[in-house]
Parts: sequence; structure tokens; C-alpha cells
Amino acid sequence: MLELTDVHKHFQQADGAVRVLDGLSTSLAPGRSAALLGESGSGKSTLLHLIAGLDSADSGRIVLDGTDTSAFKDADWAAWRRDKLSLIFQNYHLVPTLTVADNLALQARLAGRFDGDFYDHLVARLGLSDLLKRLPHQLSGGQQQRVAIGRALLHRPALVLADEPTGNLDERSSAAVMALLTELVREAGASLLMVTHSPAMAAHLDERWQLTNGRLETAA
Amino acid sequence: MRRLLSVLTRVLLTLLSHYRRHIAQTLFLAIGLVTGVGLWSAVQIINDHARASYSEADQLLGAQASHWVRARDGAGIDPADYIALRRDGFTQLYPILETRLAVNDEPLWLIATDLLALPRSESPLGASGGDWPSLVQPPYQTWYPPDLAADFGIGPGDTLMLDDGRQLPPAALQQQPQQGRRLFMDIGAALAVLQRDHFSYLGVGELSSAETDRLRRALPNHLQLVDNRQRLDLTQLTASLHSHLTAMSLLAFAVGLFIVFNAVRFALHLRRPTLHTLRELGASSRMLSVAVLLEALVWSALGTLGGLAAGRALATLLLPPVASSLQSLYGAVVGTDIQLGWARILLAWGITLVGLLLALAWPLWREAQQNIRQARSASDDWAADRQARRWLALFGLLLAVAALMLHSRMSTVTQGFVVLGLSLFAAAFVLPVWLASALRLVERCLPEPAWKLRWALRDAWAQLPQVRVAMMALLLALTANLGVETLVGSFRSALTIWLDQRLAADLYIQDDSLRLAAFTDHGAAPWLVASHQRNGVQIRWSGRPTLIRGLNTNAPDSRALPLADANEHLQDWFDGDNDWVLANEQVHHLAGVELGDRVQVDTAQGPQAFRIAGFFHDYGSPYFQLYLPYATVERLWPNASPEGLALWLSDAPDAEQQAESALLAAGAQPGDWLNQNTIKRVSLRIFDRTFAITTAMNGLTLSVAGIALLAALLALHQQRLSHYAHWRALGVRYREWLLIVALPLALLVALTGLAALPLGALLSSLLVHDLNVHAFGWTMPLQWQWPPALRLAALTAAVLGLTLLISLWQVRRRLPLALKQLGEDDA
Amino acid sequence: MRYARLLIIALISHAVADDYQLLRADPSGYPRAVPNPAIEFPTDHLPHPDFRIEWWYLTANLTDADGESWGLQWTLFRQAMTPNADPGGWASKQVWMAHAALSTPTGHRYAERFARGGIGQAGVALNDTGDFNAWLDDWQWTGTAGSLFPGTLDLAFDAINLDITLNSTTPWVLQGEAGYHQKSDLGQASHYYSQPHIQIDGELTVDGETFTVSGPGWLDREWSSQPLAPNQPGWDWFSLHLNDGSALMVYQLRNDNGEPWINGTWVDADGRSQSLERGAIELTAESFTTLTLPTGEQKTLPLDWTLRLPDRNHSWRITALRPDSWLSTLFPYWEGPVVAQSQNPATPGGMGYLELTGY
Ligand SMILES: Nc1ncnc2c1ncn2[C@@H]1O[C@H](COP(=O)(O)OP(=O)(O)OP(=O)(O)O)[C@@H](O)[C@H]1O
Ligand SMILES: [Mg+2]
Repeated sequence: MLELTDVHKHFQQADGAVRVLDGLSTSLAPGRSAALLGESGSGKSTLLHLIAGLDSADSGRIVLDGTDTSAFKDADWAAWRRDKLSLIFQNYHLVPTLTVADNLALQARLAGRFDGDFYDHLVARLGLSDLLKRLPHQLSGGQQQRVAIGRALLHRPALVLADEPTGNLDERSSAAVMALLTELVREAGASLLMVTHSPAMAAHLDERWQLTNGRLETAA
Repeated sequence: MRRLLSVLTRVLLTLLSHYRRHIAQTLFLAIGLVTGVGLWSAVQIINDHARASYSEADQLLGAQASHWVRARDGAGIDPADYIALRRDGFTQLYPILETRLAVNDEPLWLIATDLLALPRSESPLGASGGDWPSLVQPPYQTWYPPDLAADFGIGPGDTLMLDDGRQLPPAALQQQPQQGRRLFMDIGAALAVLQRDHFSYLGVGELSSAETDRLRRALPNHLQLVDNRQRLDLTQLTASLHSHLTAMSLLAFAVGLFIVFNAVRFALHLRRPTLHTLRELGASSRMLSVAVLLEALVWSALGTLGGLAAGRALATLLLPPVASSLQSLYGAVVGTDIQLGWARILLAWGITLVGLLLALAWPLWREAQQNIRQARSASDDWAADRQARRWLALFGLLLAVAALMLHSRMSTVTQGFVVLGLSLFAAAFVLPVWLASALRLVERCLPEPAWKLRWALRDAWAQLPQVRVAMMALLLALTANLGVETLVGSFRSALTIWLDQRLAADLYIQDDSLRLAAFTDHGAAPWLVASHQRNGVQIRWSGRPTLIRGLNTNAPDSRALPLADANEHLQDWFDGDNDWVLANEQVHHLAGVELGDRVQVDTAQGPQAFRIAGFFHDYGSPYFQLYLPYATVERLWPNASPEGLALWLSDAPDAEQQAESALLAAGAQPGDWLNQNTIKRVSLRIFDRTFAITTAMNGLTLSVAGIALLAALLALHQQRLSHYAHWRALGVRYREWLLIVALPLALLVALTGLAALPLGALLSSLLVHDLNVHAFGWTMPLQWQWPPALRLAALTAAVLGLTLLISLWQVRRRLPLALKQLGEDDA
Repeated sequence: MRYARLLIIALISHAVADDYQLLRADPSGYPRAVPNPAIEFPTDHLPHPDFRIEWWYLTANLTDADGESWGLQWTLFRQAMTPNADPGGWASKQVWMAHAALSTPTGHRYAERFARGGIGQAGVALNDTGDFNAWLDDWQWTGTAGSLFPGTLDLAFDAINLDITLNSTTPWVLQGEAGYHQKSDLGQASHYYSQPHIQIDGELTVDGETFTVSGPGWLDREWSSQPLAPNQPGWDWFSLHLNDGSALMVYQLRNDNGEPWINGTWVDADGRSQSLERGAIELTAESFTTLTLPTGEQKTLPLDWTLRLPDRNHSWRITALRPDSWLSTLFPYWEGPVVAQSQNPATPGGMGYLELTGY
């Protein structure tokens, strides 16, 4: 599903170049899930950005779903994100003007893969049936994140990237949201790469990747 | 205290640092201020300048002109009479020759005097230091004010060829006080070059009342002493024109203020975190308010300076056409050297400051009301926008009610403009509610599967709070454009029709001393079908200069007089009944006289009463005018002079040529007569020039609204850039993005344009049916025309397209960075 | 020599550094003053239109019934603007200027007027009845037949009305060499004749009050095309009526770089005259007076002089009757009555006029 070979990434800063990723290599098989662990500033988000094509690596190979991305143009990345990928962020990023229903369906519609039955199923699983007509600002944080999860899965992505998805939630709701996320991802047969600070959450996933000094140590 | 000041300075500097990092915003704030103040001050400068000129109307070329000496028969002054009066000790008299010339049908005024005879305080040639021998000796000189020379492409030494074939003496770029946009020549030179042997009149400098009496007694019978009341009359007659201009400039100012409002609010909005931090760091909210007010002070000072500079430049551009209109319509001499007074500068600064404070007051107050925590969390304000819209609408309705109430009892031009302003702003304030309701309606009509369209429509709600003010500005600009275009269009077509009816004859003799008998055989000639000799005298009636005209009531053009209204006694008037008169409609609208009313006027035989049989249209005239039978005028005003001889020519192909040869043979000069087409052409040209400033102001106002829109869009996109990055992360294509962002905007603009249609119609109806009547006493049918509306729609679409393109380009440029920062924006 | 106020100049040369440039302007194209032909009367009372400048210049020391002293000045100037042929009429090349000034017991009042030539508003000519006539607007001098005397002068300005008769029986005094009057070593010269013995009688109305006045007057007639040399900035000119009936004219043309050009004429009571040359005149300014003009400008002027004629053993102290006699006309100058006090027993005292230009 995902294959990274010798990926380098640095940022130019006032006090010199920061080598964030320094010859990082790893891979993730289809349907597998991995937790990305590491200190703050270690480059976790940066890695996710590279995989999503939001930023580009200095060097190294990123192969996604069997396709080498080195020749990807902006439009290819956009297509990749639309069709194969989902991003989940700490701050949900729902479209504030759209109802819950429209937010849920948004990415699937963009990808042209809206499936009514799957939609009903997800709505039921996420417990959003009563909230469909609401606007995002009328929801709690946990509810909003559930909508974001639904939106991320409805178009049946091959890979879900989540950056501290429960960072804004209290412990109880974050555990509930996490459980739902891993379960649904597994159901959908997608791969999952999730940044988290919580070892407890990491324990739910198949693999644990520790990012230190720009490289990964993988633990089963 | 010192500590407080230093904290305040620090706070102010912190706040101001924002503008260095947000150049585009700074630019828009400056543009808004400069254009608003600039447009307003340009008109104020022009008005002030014109009024200053009127107050000099009792001056002629730097000399006092408290009276005129004129010939009773309109024939001008014989130089021998003038010399006799000078030798009799009347050294305050000076000869003036004033005449209208034509160059390529363009009217051009010439004034000539004897500088040595002018009773001026300074030395004969004044400070202008001209070259006296060249001025008075062949080949002479013509002195051109520089701007007029530039208009005609004349340089020093050039000679101008008149339409009658005469050549003016070589040019010098020189001017005399109160020369205005006129040519100046020595009177001896003018007599020679124009082949005249009479002066137009004599100017009379300051005279004691004893000397006035002595002069009155000393004048030969054919001359009379006339008071110069120009100063009063001009101020009164042109008041309406100047209120028109002021109203337009205030509108432009308001539209400029909308940009400022938006920019200031946005700048404040973006700095909310800074403000909160400062508050958290211990700056009191009062200190923050003071700092923001100081910031407003800085901006207002900068805006005023920039605006006045822009206004001055604009005034310099707009003044020549205004000056020449004032000259054509009112005979007002307005020079083109612009002065900017302190009072004006302070006023400009004052209103800018008030405008800025208005823009700042509400958000500041709201900010100060909230405690720190509340303020931090109130981030999604688009939902709160509904509340704001309602308040605005409520306020708008109040304005509308006020406008309605005032309209029912409106009687002056100023009140008219207040009604107009209230209506416009009422509409502008109600606009957001109209936009919201229309959006909701359209949304409801969209089918479920059209999810992109629905998204786009939903996105309108996110845009609305940001572009609301820009839409209001656009509404004002569009409405004003439509309203004024309709007024101008209606007026122009009314004028064209009126000119066609009014100028029925083929030739009009300009030289009032030419008599029909002088160039025909007792009024008969093979080329002549009919003629109409009128006479006239100017009196004062009802506080205004009033023209009494004697007509042959059976002449073809009297029969076809374009009447606004008449009663059954019109026939009596045609029959020459002495009891009935026709009055111009100004008499009806400005003096409140009704059909059948008795009007009493002063005649040489004492006051005499007439009854009104009808009102005729008399466009362009600021005076009252009464039409009586020729013989009646001759009898009641023995000093009435013949003026205006109209000739109808036969169908013979060479009739005009024959007429001209007959005139030339009788000693007339080319230019002493005009044919119908020339008069029409010149009249329409004067009309167009008069409204040139209107069109210019309107165009500028629209572009200011365009700038407001662009500013709002750029700000909006900057604010929403992180949203766009998320959309992009969801896989949204640029096409889709453009659809989602542009469609609602286009819809909002279209809805605003739609609202501008009825409002423009309302405005034009106010202008045509109320304001114009109160201001000038002219009525005309309102003619709604679609082409201007379509033109405006196209123009607006182009402006919208352009602003969208610019903002699209901005977003594309910035999006990659936003994408890289995705997920971090609110950490 | 009264070039006084020659003023019209500025009309011609606008970029003048000083007011009297005209008097020094290059005369090329204009006729020059030459010793011949001799002055002829009455033709030479009339204008010499080809010459650049010309004037008729009257001053008078008058006394009213109460014995108060009055001063009267009336001058008519003609100037040709070009040496070209005169088209006449409205295009005339002549410009006229007149000054009228009255020194009253309480002040100094004056007026200036301008008129173009060719249109009858101003001129010097014989009128319909063949009498000499010099006029500008309603100011006019009317003589008898071709002569200026007996004559009348009518002036009205600034609430002043003046009606006087002028009589003279003595012969005209031809200045210099029979009326050819040299003004510098460089050849600048003019045609110049005077009448120092004019008996004036008449009435003056000032601000509604009428005075009967009489006294001696002095008329100068002069025409030229360049009376001043380029290095002459101005002049001090005296005309005195002495108590024994004789009259004296003395002037000095100041020189930028050297001795002034001093000259004068002594005229007996019966009109016989003698030129006074450089060595025969000693003229010294004794003190200076600073005037503040209405404009605030200050002028420092020599209003106190000693004049000696050593050959004749005469000596006078000459002082201004009223220092306030500055004319802020287009060409500004000081001109007013003076008192000549005898400084030795054989010298008759007198009254006169002083003109100071170029200050
Ligand atoms: N756009 C940028 N420009 C410069 N430096 C950057 C940029 N983005 C990230 N960095 C730097 O790269 C390093 C890695 O950042 P990254 O956001 O990937 O860390 P992270 O592991 O996600 O940390 P956290 O757990 O706090 O979210 C940090 O040192 C950061 O300062
Ligand atoms: Mg991170």
C-alpha cells in the first residue's frame, strides 16, 4: 500500500537547516494500521504531508498503492487525495456552511463514488442520524470528529491519514472516537496511518512506528 | 502619565505594525480614503472656486463693475459717446467689447477692453506684465488663459482661425483677473480685427451716489445705466447646480467610505488576536480603544492629504468643462486657477475622521464589551451575521420611513437630496436581508442531486458577511449610475425634441442691430418665406432676472411653441389679447404661479397685471420668461430692444446662399447669423459637456465600488485560505473551487444589480420629477432606457470577472503554502 | 528738466530693473535732439510725436487768503512706444500719462491717469476754436490761440476741484544753447524751454471748502529720445521764485561713478536768462529725512540743502515745506514745495519746487 525509501526532508529556518526526515524508509501493507509516535517536532506531521502530497520530499521514493509518485503533478496528487486517500485532523475541518449530511457526503461526491447504502450504514454506525440537518457549529467536538471520520471513509479510501484526531477531545470521547475509527477502517479494508501521542491508542493498531532523528523504528 | 504614554505608544506601534505586513490591506484602506476624499474634495474645490468667481462678478478684469452703461436699442456704444463721457470727468467708465466667437462650432468667448482706461488699483498692466505695444499695435495679440490655449492646441504666436474665416491675432499665454475661460484682446485691436465700430457696453467702476446721479443725467438719451446684479443672481441661479454636484460628491465619498469601512473592520478583525494578547498582557480595553482611535487619526490625516492631492488633480481635470458650462448656461466667468483653502482642508479631514470613526465605533464597542475569553471563542461569526443583517434592515426601514415622510413635504432642492440620500441608504441597508432571502429562496429550489450547486449556494453564506459592505457600495454606485443615466437620457431626448420644435426657422440673426428691411425689400425677398422679429427687455420679477419677450403670435414658431400646459385662453393669446401671457414653466415651478393666475410686472408705465394662458418648456434657462405680443412689449417697455430675428427660407436650393449674400451686402459680418443645425449642434454639445462631470463622477463612483469589491474579495480569500487548503486536501479541483467561490458571488452581484434596477428607476424618477423641478423648474417625461442598464450590467460583470481573476490568481499563488500548513492553522 | 516720472516706461519695457529705464533706453530709430533747428513758437508748444518722450510740466507756489502755502503740480507726458510710423486711431503708438498733485496745508494729495493716443481721450492740439489745448479726460489746460497764455487749467481729482487762470508776459526761456540742452558728456540731450514767470489766480475746492489762491508758477517743456546717460541713476532739480522777481533753476544729474552733472539757469524779473555752468554752482545736501510710505516702505531723502552761487555771492538754505510729498505713482518720486532762506544779506529769499528722482 505504502512504500517509502530513503526519504529526506529539511526545512530552511533562521537558525539553519533542520533535517526533519533523514533517510526514512518504511512500508505499510494494504489493510494494515500503524501508529506514528514521536516527540513534538520530530516530523510526524511532515511525514503525513509528504504522503498526502501536500508538501514534497527533498529526495527519496514514495510509492503509493504500487504507483511511484516522483512524477506526480499537482493535479495527480489532487486526484490521488480525492480517490484513494482520507485526511483526518485534530480540528475536524468540516465545511461550516454545509449540513452534517452534506459534509459527510462531500468527499464521496467529489470522488464520484457516493454509495447511499454505505452512507446510511455509516450514519447509523457513527450515531449521527439525528444530527444530519445540523450545521457543524451546532455540534460538539466529538460529534464533529465523527462527521469527519464518516466523510473520510464514505468514499472507500485505500489509505486513511489521521493527525492526532482526538487531540481536542476529552479522554472518554477520544477513546470512543478511536474505537469507532479503527473499527470502521478495518471494516472498510483501508490502511491507516495515525499520529498519536497516546501509547494506549497506539496499542489498538497493528504496528507502532517510532520517529526519532528523522528515521523510523518499527515495533510490531 | 509618562508611563501611560509610553505604553500607549507601544500599543499603537504594535497595532500599526500590522499594516506593514499586510500591504494589500494597507493599500486598499489608502485607496478607499484617497478616492472617497478625492472625489468629494474635487467637487468641493470646484464649487468653492465657482462661488468665489461669482463673488467677483461685480468685478470685470480686475476693475469694479457696479453698473453697466448700455445702449437702449441693443446696438452697442459709439466710441465717441464714451470719449465724451470720459472728457466729462467720468473716469470710472471703461469700454468693453464682449462677443461669442466660434471655432469648429465650439463657442469661444472674447472680452476686450482698454487696459489704460480700467480703473484698477494696480498699474495699467497689473501684475500680468504683458507686452503693451504688441497688445495694442498691429498685428496685435490675443491673450489666452493657459488651459484654454491647451484646449485649442494654441502655443505662443499661433493664430486661431474662426469659423467665419477671420484670423485672431497671435497668441500670448497671459491672463487678466476675471478673464475666466475667455480670450482677451485690446479693445482697439478687437474693433479692428472683428470689424466693429461699437463697444458692447461700458463698465462702470465704483461711483458715489452723487456721481451715479450725475452720470445718469449726463448720459445721452440712447444710453442707460444698469445695475450689475450678477453677483447676487449668479449665486442664486447656480445654487441648484452646485447642490447637484455636492450630492454626487457625497455619494462618491460614501462609496469610498464603504471600502474604508471594510478595510478598517477587516484590519481590526485580523488583529483581534493581537488585541486579545495585548489585553491579556494588561493593556486596558480603554487604552486599546484610544490606540485604535489614534490609529484612525493617523489614517484620517494621511487619507486627507492624499485625498486632497487627488481631489485637486481631479478638480483641475473637471473644472474646464464645468467652467464652460457655467459660462454657457449662466454667463458666469469662472477661471481655472484652483485654490485650496484651509477651511476646505480641515473640513475634509473632519469628515474623513468622522467616517473612520463610524467604521470603527461598532466593532470596537463590541470588542470592548466582551471579556477576553468570550472574544477568543467568537470565531465563527458568519452565523451571527443574521443578527447583524436584521439590525441593518431595521435601520434601513427607519431611513425609508423618514424618506417617505420627508418626501411628502419636500419643497427645496436640499430636502430633495436628503430624501434621495435617505432612500439610497435605506436600500443599501436593506440589501443584505434581500440578498439573504433571495439566496434562501434559490437554495430551496435546487434539487437534491445538484450537490455542487448547493454547496456553492451554501458558500454564499460564508461570503456574505465579508462582501456585504462591498455589495452595499455596489448597489449605491449602480443605482446612482442608472438613475443619473436615465435622467441625462430623458433630459437629452426632451431637449432634442424641444430644440426641433423651438428652432423651426432656418436662419437666426445674432446681430440685434440688423433689421429685416436692411437686407430685404420691405421684408420681402424671393428666398424668404417667413420671418419673425422678436423684441425683449430684462426686468426683475419675483426676485429673479426675468426676460420679457415680444413675439409675433402668428409666426410659425409661436404657433408650434412646445407647451407644458395651457388653458382655454391660449387662443386669446394667439389672437394677440393683451391680457394673456405665456410663461416658461420655471414661473410655474419656481415661483408657484398657476394657470389663470394674475402676475404683476413692472413696466415703464407702472405695474401691469397679466394672466397666464400657458406654460412653455424653456430648457437650459435659469431665468423667468414671459411671452407677450410684440406690440405690447414695445408699448409697455419703450426701451425694449429688438432681439432675435428668425428667417424661414424658401425651398430653392440656393436660398441659404442668397440669404447670406443679402446679409453680407447689408453689412452683416459672417457669424452675425447662425443656421438651425449649428444652433442645435452647439446646444447639444453644451448639454453633453454640462453632464460630462456627472458621467465622470458616476464612472469614478462605480470604479470605487469595483475596488471595494476587489478589496473585500482579497480579504475574504486571505481569511479563508486555510478552508480552501482543506477543500483541496479533500480533492477539490480548481474548477470546482472556482464554481463554489464564484457562483455565489456572481449571484450576489446579480441580485444586487437586480435590486439596483427598481432603485435606479426610483432615483431617476426622484431626479426627474422632483429634484429637477425644484432645482431648475424644468419638467420632462421620464424615459427608461435599457441600453444603459445593459451597459452597466456588462461593465459590472467585467469588474466582477476582473476581481475574481485577481483573487483567483492570489489564491493559487498562496495555496501551496496553506497546504503545507494544513492542520497547523489552529493549533 | 523734469523728466520726472517718466514713467510710462514700464509700459514698454516690462523687465525693467529700475523705474527710469526708459529715459536711458537705446534711442535708435527715434530722432535725436540736435542743436538745430531752433525752437519755434507756437508750433513747438504742440507735440513732437516722433520723439520718444515729451512733457508739459507745471509747478506753482500758491498762497490763499489766510496766507497759507499751497503747492500745485500738473504734468502731461507723451510717449511714443515705437519708432515706427504711427497707424493712428485705436492703433496709435502714443501713450499719455498725467499727474496732478496738490500740497495742501494739511497734506499731499495726488492722482495719476493714463490714456492711449489716437482716440481723443488725451492729447495736445489746437481745439475747434483754434486755442491751445492739453488734456487727459477732464483735466485740461486751455490757452489762447496757439499760445499757452493767457490760459486756464481745470483739474478734478480726489475730492479736489481746481480752476485757475495762468498769465505770463515775459519771453520764453530757452534752456542750454537756444533750447538744445545737453544732459551728459556722452551726448544725451533734449529740447528744452521754460516759462518761470507765470501769474496764477484761481479757486481751489478741497473736500467742499473753497479757497482763493494766487502765486507764481513755472512751466517746463521738454522733448527728447534719450535724456539720461546709462550711468545716471536720477536727479535733484530745483526751481525757485525769488522775492526780487528773479527765478533760478538748478539741477544735478547724479552719476554712478563720478561727479554729478550740474547745470542751471538764472532768469531776471524781465525774463532775461543766463546759463550757470558747473563751476558756478555749489549744491550740498545738508541732512537726510526718512519717510515711511503708506506701503510701509522707507525712503531716505535729502530734503535740506545749501545752494551757493559764488560768482554772484548768493547763498540759500533750501528746505522742504512738507516732507510728506512722495508720489507712489507708477514711476515714484518726491516732488513738493520748498522754502529758500537767504543766507546772506544781498540774497533774496524765495519759494520754489524740488524734485527728487531715483531714490
Ligand atoms: N513550513 C515549515 N517551515 C519550517 N520549518 C517547519 C515547517 N513545518 C515544520 N517545520 C519544522 O519541522 C519540524 C517537524 O515538524 P512537524 O510539524 O512535522 O512535527 P510533529 O512531529 O508533527 O510535531 P507535533 O507533535 O508537535 O505536532 C519541526 O521542527 C518544525 O519546526
Ligand atoms: Mg504535528
